[in-house]
This record gives sequence, C-alpha cells and structure tokens, in this order.
Amino acid sequence: MHLLKIEWLKVRSYRTFWILFGGFVLLFPLTFYFFIDKYNESVDNNAQGKMISSLLDNPSFFPKIWHSASWFGGLFFILVGMLLILLVTNEVQYRTHRQNIIDGLSREEFMLSKMLVGLVLAIAATLVVILSALVVGLIFSKDTSHLFEGMKYIGFFFLMSLQYLMVALVIAFLIKRTGLAIIIYFAFVFIIDNLLWVSLIRNNSKVGYFLPLESTDSLVPNPFIPRMMAQRNVEDSSLLICAAIYFVLMAVLVMRYFKKVDLKN
Amino acid sequence: MSVLTLQHLSKKYGRIQALQDVSFEVPEGCVFGILGPNGSGKTTLLGIIMNVLQPSGGDFSFFNEPASAALRKKIGTLLETPNFYAYLSAVDNLKIAAAIKGVPESDIDRVLELVALTERKDSKFSTYSLGMKQRLAIASCLLGDPTVLVFDEPTNGLDPVGIAEIRNLIIQLYKQGKTIIMASHLLDEVEKVCTHVAILQRGKLLASGNVDEILVNEDIVEVASTNLDALAELLKDYPELVRMVPQSQFLELYFTTGMVSMESLNQFCFSKGIVLQHLRLRKKSLETKFFELTQNK
Repeated sequence: MHLLKIEWLKVRSYRTFWILFGGFVLLFPLTFYFFIDKYNESVDNNAQGKMISSLLDNPSFFPKIWHSASWFGGLFFILVGMLLILLVTNEVQYRTHRQNIIDGLSREEFMLSKMLVGLVLAIAATLVVILSALVVGLIFSKDTSHLFEGMKYIGFFFLMSLQYLMVALVIAFLIKRTGLAIIIYFAFVFIIDNLLWVSLIRNNSKVGYFLPLESTDSLVPNPFIPRMMAQRNVEDSSLLICAAIYFVLMAVLVMRYFKKVDLKN
Repeated sequence: MSVLTLQHLSKKYGRIQALQDVSFEVPEGCVFGILGPNGSGKTTLLGIIMNVLQPSGGDFSFFNEPASAALRKKIGTLLETPNFYAYLSAVDNLKIAAAIKGVPESDIDRVLELVALTERKDSKFSTYSLGMKQRLAIASCLLGDPTVLVFDEPTNGLDPVGIAEIRNLIIQLYKQGKTIIMASHLLDEVEKVCTHVAILQRGKLLASGNVDEILVNEDIVEVASTNLDALAELLKDYPELVRMVPQSQFLELYFTTGMVSMESLNQFCFSKGIVLQHLRLRKKSLETKFFELTQNK
C-alpha cells in the first residue's frame, strides 16, 4: 500500500497518464457501444447476417456479450500496456529510478511498485469491461435470463491484461528508452506474435497457442467470426497453465535482471 | 565509530577499471571530501555505496552494518545530477522523496526554506534553472534531518553566491555534528569545506586522511653547508619544523606556510657555528601538491 501511495504521487498530476488511461476508460465503452449497434443493424438488415448471427449465438446479447466485451477490451488494452511502458521508461529518462533507490527503496520494492501499478490498471480495466458489457448488454438484449453465464470471459480478460502488462514491463525494463520500447512492444504485440501464431497454426499444429501472448489471447477468441472457423483444439486449462508459467517466468526474469543491473541511465 | 568503511572496492565497466582496490574509512562528524579530476571514479564510488551500481569486488558498510535500503533512508544523497519528475512541482517531488524515506510531509517547508526555494515551491521542476534544480536536490537530501549526507559535486551549476551559500550550509551542517561525504573536482572547495579527504586518480586511491596532513600548504626551505650531517643534527629540533627530507646536495625543511623566517634561520645556524652555503625558499601551492599527487603515480 505504501508503494502504491508513492506511485500515486507520481502519476497524480501526470497528464499523459490520464490521457492514455482516460482514453481506454472512455474510448472503449463508446466504441464498443457503437460497434454493437452497427453490428445489430447489419445483422437485422439481411437474411445472411441473420443466419450467421444464429450460428454465432449473437455476440451482442447476453450471455455472449461478456465474451465480446472481453475480446474488444483486449484490443483497447494494448493502450494500457503502452502506458505502463511509459511509466517505467519515464523513471529511467528522469533518472528517478536511481533517486528512488538512493532515497531508500530497495530494488525489489521498485520493481514491485511497478507490478502493483500494473495490477491496479488491470483491475480497473476489468471493471470498465464489466460495466461496459453490462450496460451495452442491457441496452440491446431482449432476454436477460442468462445474464451471468459467460462471465468466465471476464476472468480471462483479467488474465490477458496481466499477461500484456507483464510483457510490457519486461520490454520497458530491458529496453529503457521510451520510443524504442514502445516500438518493440507494438511490433511484438501486432506483428511478431501474430506472424508466429499464423505460421505455427497453419499446419494444424497446436504450438501456436502456446506463445506467451497467444496463451491468453486464445482464451478469448474473436466472437465476431463464425464458430467453426475459429476452432481451437486446445483445452482452456492447458492454456491457463501455460500462461501462468510464462507470467511467473517473466516476473522472475525481470526481477533478477533489475536486482543486478547497473542503473547508469 | 566509522560512518562508512570501504574495503578493497573495485568496479569494472567492461575493460575499463573505474575503481581499483579502494579502501578508506569515513569517521563520524567530519566533512569527508572525495577529490579527483573528472572521470577519476568519484561518482562510481558513490553510486556503489548507494546501490545504483554493483561493485565488481570488495565490500562496504555503513555504521559497521551491511548496506540496506533501510539505512539509505537515513542518508541524504545527491548523486551526480538532480533527479526529479519534470512534470511535478518542487513540493510534489519532495512528497515522493518524503514518502520513500518515511519522513512526514510537514518537513518539506523547512527544507525548501533552507535552500531558499519557498517562493518557487509550486513551480514545475522543468521550469527550474540549473542552480534551482541543484538546490532542490540538496533540499531533498535534508528531508528528515539525516545525520549523514552524501553530496556529489554539490556546487555544480551554481553561481558564485549560490556556491558560497551551499558551502556555508555544509559547514553549518558539520557544526551540527553531521557527517558529510562530498565528491568534488575542485581542490579549493575541498580545502575550504572538508576536514578529511581521499584523493582518487583513475580509480585508484592516492591518499586519504586529514586535510591538514594531505593538502597542507607548505614552505620548503633548502639549506646546505659543508657538513650536511651536522646541519641536520642542529636543525632537527628547529621550532615549527614539520619534517626534514635530506637530499644529496641539501636538506629540505618543510614548514607550514608563513611559519619560517629565512633571516632567523640563517642567524640561528651562524650562531651555532655553521655557515650556510645554500639557502632557498620554495613556495609550494596546493595546486602543485594536487598535481604531484595526481600526476606522479
């Protein structure tokens, strides 16, 4: 709690923090609402759409809306990962990571405080996703009898956001430079991870699902494409175990690295 | 008790040996200067004792205890440049430092007053001049009134008035019984402020001890007579003589600056039956002393 208080003092009047985080908090629900609205329109307007929608069990209604909100939230959450990178590389740029340690934080505490910030961001984002799904679901769903059925996807979203943040944290601590770290993060999230996934998944191999980010991404598959096209042949449980292993490995690696490294600049 | 003890501290950056087998002790209640030209390893040394750099070898302790984060909270340190969050005001920056050190926020106004930054306390750090940044860094060190302070080039970037202010502040802190460890490349600064000094050159410790002993201003008198041994015997108890170094052609007599008169020395020898055939006064400045220390080895 003490560490979080220190972090709070740092971000309280940091404009970029509020712009990026506010960006997620405002943009995601609005975009989600309009997207679902348009989606329903297009489904209602043609027979083919109706058929697809029935095959999908419509992602804009309860209980499937939990799933679609989680998937959609995942797209926007990449922003929050960028924010965490910024919070870490800022410290390096201002050399305040040195000063924090000189003033009496241990290196472990410094790392832990950034992990705690990540945890808070993930919890906040998950709350936003829950609220958005609930509100948008209540607006569009005619039937609310199965309201809480698909809630496991919210849990998956939370895990996915933790995984993204851990990747962001590792990149930020290893790369140190703001611009480069953000470029590498986006390159990894959008290009490297996806290329690897596609090339591994093409010959029906399961390895692709066990990439660091895919292990949690695959927990929340795209709900807007017909189900048979997105057949996953790996159990949720094995993905969860795999994700946990990656998570712990990354946490241990980055902590060990930071404990030993010279904090030059 | 010694505040800081270094034992065989070494640091390598790749092939560069930044510190080599440095050992010394900082006694309690002194102003300890670490003197050396740029790149001599002063900041590396302070970085190691503050745990931002990892030593390649050797050990160090504070108050005979191994270093820890808890100990660092009780030491006010300014290392290299002032490091603050550019987008925060002076007060908000000090709130973070206070939170880390576990010092109440009520102490912030006091330290800002000490460095004369009260008027600008709500301005963003990024709007500060170099001198103000430096003073804010010193204010941050003073949070919680620590008994040990570490300053790396504390007068860097200050104008002459600011330099005098900070030096006075350091002397005041010393008079309050605090231990101050400061790195400086300015001989004059160390001479004016410090009671003890360690001299570093290319990562090696050249000398350490009392400033009076290491950086003493000396007058050297060369004397010679036909019988050097008799002359040495005569002068060994001469008043105010610090030490005597026999050379092949003459004797070198070391005196504290201004403590010797050529005339009375000559008269003294003559009255004792020794006629000097050589008498010469050499002034030795601090700068030559410093050059000697840093160049010859």
